Amino acid sequence: MKKITLITFALATSFCFGFAFKSITTSNSGSNTKMKRVTGIGGIFFKCKDPKKLKEWYQIHLGLNTNQYGTVFEWYQGADSSKKGFSQWSPFKETTKYFEPSTKEFMINYRVENLEALIEELKKEGVTITDTLQIVDYGKFVHIMDTEGNKIELWEPNDIVYEKLGIQMGLKTTK
Amino acid sequence: MKNLVSRWVSRRRNDFTTKKISNMEDKKSQTPKVTGIGGIFFKCKDPNKMKEWYKTHLGIDAGQYGASFEWYQDAEGKKKGLTQWNLNSEAAKLYEPSTKGFMINYRVNNLEALVEELKKEGVTVLDKVETYDYGKFVHILDAEGNKIQLWEPTDE
Repeated sequence: MKKITLITFALATSFCFGFAFKSITTSNSGSNTKMKRVTGIGGIFFKCKDPKKLKEWYQIHLGLNTNQYGTVFEWYQGADSSKKGFSQWSPFKETTKYFEPSTKEFMINYRVENLEALIEELKKEGVTITDTLQIVDYGKFVHIMDTEGNKIELWEPNDIVYEKLGIQMGLKTTK
Repeated sequence: MKNLVSRWVSRRRNDFTTKKISNMEDKKSQTPKVTGIGGIFFKCKDPNKMKEWYKTHLGIDAGQYGASFEWYQDAEGKKKGLTQWNLNSEAAKLYEPSTKGFMINYRVNNLEALVEELKKEGVTVLDKVETYDYGKFVHILDAEGNKIQLWEPTDE
């Protein structure tokens, strides 16, 4: 009886050791690929002939609470529903330089975690980064290019400040 | 324009009347309007290669129908919401008659009522409301020819 217990114990221990060892090795080698990158859509921007008129159209017909910047869609985060999340929606003038060097008529903003670490990874991976990290009250920003010439805005948001700013300016979100 | 504004005002007035006769929760889900971004779709030369790129570098794991970003509609985390992200080939007919390289899907409340209002307001409605397991869909054009997909989701 004692022998069986001992064997079971030995087996269990070695199994646990193996498991622990595996998790150590994979977390070391896989830390870069396992890193959370994009967590959501932070915004959609597109060019149009008359942003003012178009914003009005979306307000009248689709009920968007538009302001001078477009609108902000409000939701709650998938990882923690007690935290709010925001997605910016903005029509731009056709002459905007904001999307350059992309020639496309739209640009997507992606929400990310730990932008600084992501930039380091992207640099190592040879991804084109079009500017340097910008830090503002409501988050950190950088712009990159995908393989087909679409400019991408990466945003590590500070949602609490972002919401406060909107409230201070008297802007209503869309939800 | 004046006409449209007065319609907008009357719609808001209707909202107010509805509010009086039902509770806030009902009103919220009945008012025919956009409530969020349901999806972003854009054209590219090589969707498979691009999906691979977005997976490798940005961690967006997109299958045949793209990737879904999950979030919640409420602070209690009871009602899920999702925003779909997908790439299409340049030959995709999904975007027609728009000639743009992107299309936005908006989540809406009460699609049937919204379509009726949009028709009255003279908005171009491109097709009939289609119902699937995951919700109702219709397509319209905005004032500058952007095709819009409207979606009343069945989140469950």
